[in-house]
Amino acid sequence: MINILIVVSGYLLHNFGLAIIALTIIVRVVTLPLTTKQLRATKAMQEMQPKLAELQKKHGKDKAKLAQEQMRMYKESGVSPAGCMLPMLVQMPIWIALFQSIIRVLATKPEDFLNLSQHLYSSWSQVFFLVPLNSQFLWLDLSIPDRFLMLPILVGGTMWLQQKMVMPTTSADPKQQAQSRMMLWMMPLMFAFLTMQFPAGLALYWVISNVITIVIQYYMVGGWGGLMPAGAQKPVGRDKKYITHITRVEEKPVDFADVGADIGADVGADIARKAAPSLRMFKRQAKKNKGHRPTRK
Amino acid sequence: MSGKLLIGKVLLLLVMLLALVGGPALLGCTGVNTIPRGWSGGVIADDTIFLGSMEGKLVAIDVSSQERRWPDVPFEASKKATGFGCAPDAGGVAIYGSPSLTEELVYIAAYHGKLYAINSETGALRWVYPREGELEPIVGGPVSVLGKVYIGSSDGKLYALDAATGDKGWEFETGGKIWSTPSVNGDTVYIGSFDKKLYALDTVDGRKKWEFATEGAIVATPLVYDDTVYIGSFDRYLYALSEADGSLRWKFQAENWFWGRPLADGGVIYTASVDGRVYAFNAGNGDKIAEFNLGSPVSSSPVLSEGSVMVASQAGRIYAVNSGQQKKQLVDLEEEIYASLAASGGVVYVHTDKDVLYAVDTRSGAIRWSLSLESE
Repeated sequence: MINILIVVSGYLLHNFGLAIIALTIIVRVVTLPLTTKQLRATKAMQEMQPKLAELQKKHGKDKAKLAQEQMRMYKESGVSPAGCMLPMLVQMPIWIALFQSIIRVLATKPEDFLNLSQHLYSSWSQVFFLVPLNSQFLWLDLSIPDRFLMLPILVGGTMWLQQKMVMPTTSADPKQQAQSRMMLWMMPLMFAFLTMQFPAGLALYWVISNVITIVIQYYMVGGWGGLMPAGAQKPVGRDKKYITHITRVEEKPVDFADVGADIGADVGADIARKAAPSLRMFKRQAKKNKGHRPTRK
Repeated sequence: MSGKLLIGKVLLLLVMLLALVGGPALLGCTGVNTIPRGWSGGVIADDTIFLGSMEGKLVAIDVSSQERRWPDVPFEASKKATGFGCAPDAGGVAIYGSPSLTEELVYIAAYHGKLYAINSETGALRWVYPREGELEPIVGGPVSVLGKVYIGSSDGKLYALDAATGDKGWEFETGGKIWSTPSVNGDTVYIGSFDKKLYALDTVDGRKKWEFATEGAIVATPLVYDDTVYIGSFDRYLYALSEADGSLRWKFQAENWFWGRPLADGGVIYTASVDGRVYAFNAGNGDKIAEFNLGSPVSSSPVLSEGSVMVASQAGRIYAVNSGQQKKQLVDLEEEIYASLAASGGVVYVHTDKDVLYAVDTRSGAIRWSLSLESE
């Protein structure tokens, strides 16, 4: 990737800043399927949180039953908690490679140059002519931290926007709300602080990457997501698959008489009588959710 | 909490820990773009070797007794250093170039942008340039000839100073950083620049006599031998140019950059590349006579001793080569070598990246002595 960065820079007016932007876009496009899969899975997990909270309330004391019901819900909805993280973990080596490439190409000291020389492909003669690259880009010297602190602010700001967009606006769980609020501010502030120490070239990569993620989220998550008030959000495209699954699970009639048939009609009827209020509550909830379903064209 | 949910939360925690703690290490802030360390070579006169230590001090050692001639001369660290590991130029006094000697003074340049003139007998500081403030980082070494000292800086300028007082005589600005050490022959000083050009300047007033454009940055030191200037470039070529007008006589392409200074001996030009090879050419027509693969990049300049050319690879091995296609490994110091070699009286002196000075017998390869340059 070092050599690609250098060659791309050569085609883009010998400008390393433009090369960083271009290669970041290319890498994000290549990893787009994984990114969208991760975003959809995250969104679906968030949609399920209220339902999981209800199960927690209902079966809190019976761990085995709780686990069973949660597994059933995951299975029927097609969502997996690990499925939110695995695409990110697969992409991480690519991001790290791009990050390290930017660091190496931004050689400033003799040691860095000698190190860089061992990563150049001898069959690509142009990489030898192009180094050292022009590290000036707009107001930035890409080899040193941004002295005007614009990039740390942009990194923190774009990261905040990115997280806010996917943050659930409705959550019955106060613990989850508190956790989400903490993450919303902690990560952007942490990365903004780190960016103050990094060469501006790395910070530029981070800003561009965040902006691309925001654009992807806009189209995959449904508009501005958590930036809009609750209720104004609408699901889009393939998100319908998960919502439809969840709604279908809720609407499935639970006839406790059938459940009780195995153990005797009387027992079954007794269970059905006692479960009737819960059944009515479920049906009311299902009707409410029907109102949020997008109309078919 | 279900098993899958727990796994998901653990994974998220791991990712956060990775970003917080392991992020800087994983993302390139280990050994790359960290504090400059330097790799000063030595210069020998009257049984004394002068060189810069990695602690940023000028050291003078009697080669017979291995005793310091005078206390190490420390240089003050740059005040403009900021940031920590991931930000370049973060602190420290590094010395990359070898010192230069006249009868009375030894000149040494530090990365933080100052050139020092020190009494070679007593170690007392005579003058420093600039007197106020600092230049941009200095990587090449100074050259002192006929009452003048020449030094290049990362500001792209070659400075000519009065050797006795440090007063600036003239300066010449190129289009890129100067990391090369100048070469002087007669009334001409030669210097390479990051702007990919080799310049020939008049020593009296800095007037440009000619320039030669290569296709890569130049950090190597030019060699002037027999009316020809030899210079290696980042475009992987070694050029042989006419000393009179800079016209091209011949050129040779290696596999990687040229970093060190070529060496001439008996009509043969020896040069090493960071591709790990030493090349020997007929000085007149550029015919390749020999090629030696050292298996490790070579960034230090070779030196002549006892009829053989001494070369050090970055891996720490010292070789003796000659135009008869003979290559002999003298010793493996098992410490990295970036500094140029110095030789005198059948001994080659090597400064390793562990800040140790070795004296190696050039015939047998035996280590006569070694001395740590760190402060006691």
